[in-house]
Amino acid sequence: MGRPRAFDEDDAVRAAAGLFAARGYEGTSVDDLVGTLGVHRGSLYKVFGSKRGLYLAALRRHLDEDVLPLTAAIAVADGLPAALAQAAAAYDSAPAAGLLLLAAAERAAADPDTAALVDEGLTALERALAAVLAADGAAAAPPGLAQALAATVLGVRLRSRAAGGRPGAEAVLALAAHLLR
Amino acid sequence: MARLSVADGTLIVEVEGLDKLWALRSRLEIPLANVRGATADPGIVHESKGLRLGGTSLPGVITAGTFRSAGEWVFWDVHNPAGAIVIQLADERYSRLVIEVADPRAAVALVEEAMRAAGAAS
Repeated sequence: MGRPRAFDEDDAVRAAAGLFAARGYEGTSVDDLVGTLGVHRGSLYKVFGSKRGLYLAALRRHLDEDVLPLTAAIAVADGLPAALAQAAAAYDSAPAAGLLLLAAAERAAADPDTAALVDEGLTALERALAAVLAADGAAAAPPGLAQALAATVLGVRLRSRAAGGRPGAEAVLALAAHLLR
Repeated sequence: MARLSVADGTLIVEVEGLDKLWALRSRLEIPLANVRGATADPGIVHESKGLRLGGTSLPGVITAGTFRSAGEWVFWDVHNPAGAIVIQLADERYSRLVIEVADPRAAVALVEEAMRAAGAAS
């Protein structure tokens, strides 16, 4: 009680998010975290409870600092093409780029708390695209179009990771143009 | 080696075999509400254990018993680092338990599942 923490919690969570994004949950050991974060093992356990506790804090931070500000910007984008280009280029972006998609693939099925955070991030993208569709006056847009476009954005993001970061906005734009014709 | 089980909202740690002698304890019972998490952590054995206050410490062979480190009480029972897990506690005499289990992945899952169930029940 009352002992001052010998490290900046926010810095530690940010560094952990980058490490988890690069190596995944299973691939990141406590040794890795202690070494990279520059905190004592005892402090890490005292503040976060477990590796999982730190991981959830890192994913929460990735949502708050990276994902949700971007989806908020997408929601007020000037038209669907601009929104999709922005989403395809930057959704789930730096500094912990890829953490959300990795969490969805690696941890969400096994961990309900991770699943809830992943769902929050994905739903934010769907809502942002739905808002843009509505603002575009696309009353005739088929139901579920925002979800389908969001899923395409995720697929393009994943594909571009495999292709060394080559942006893939054209694919999303082509799909949107086709659907809204 | 220790064995974990869960009954009636309590995490039970049973120290097995001769480790009862080395650690001077055979059983710990922790209400799940006081369990903050569990982590597989083979690397922790290379850290300073602090001051031994009851138990046994033969570096590289066994660390068992009660240690005091950085103002915290820590319970150890580890021979083989590969099986070491860390259970972080709150409002208990021990701040954390560092114990060796047969299957670290399964033990961590057991604790996390029990914490979830206890959290959902309360």
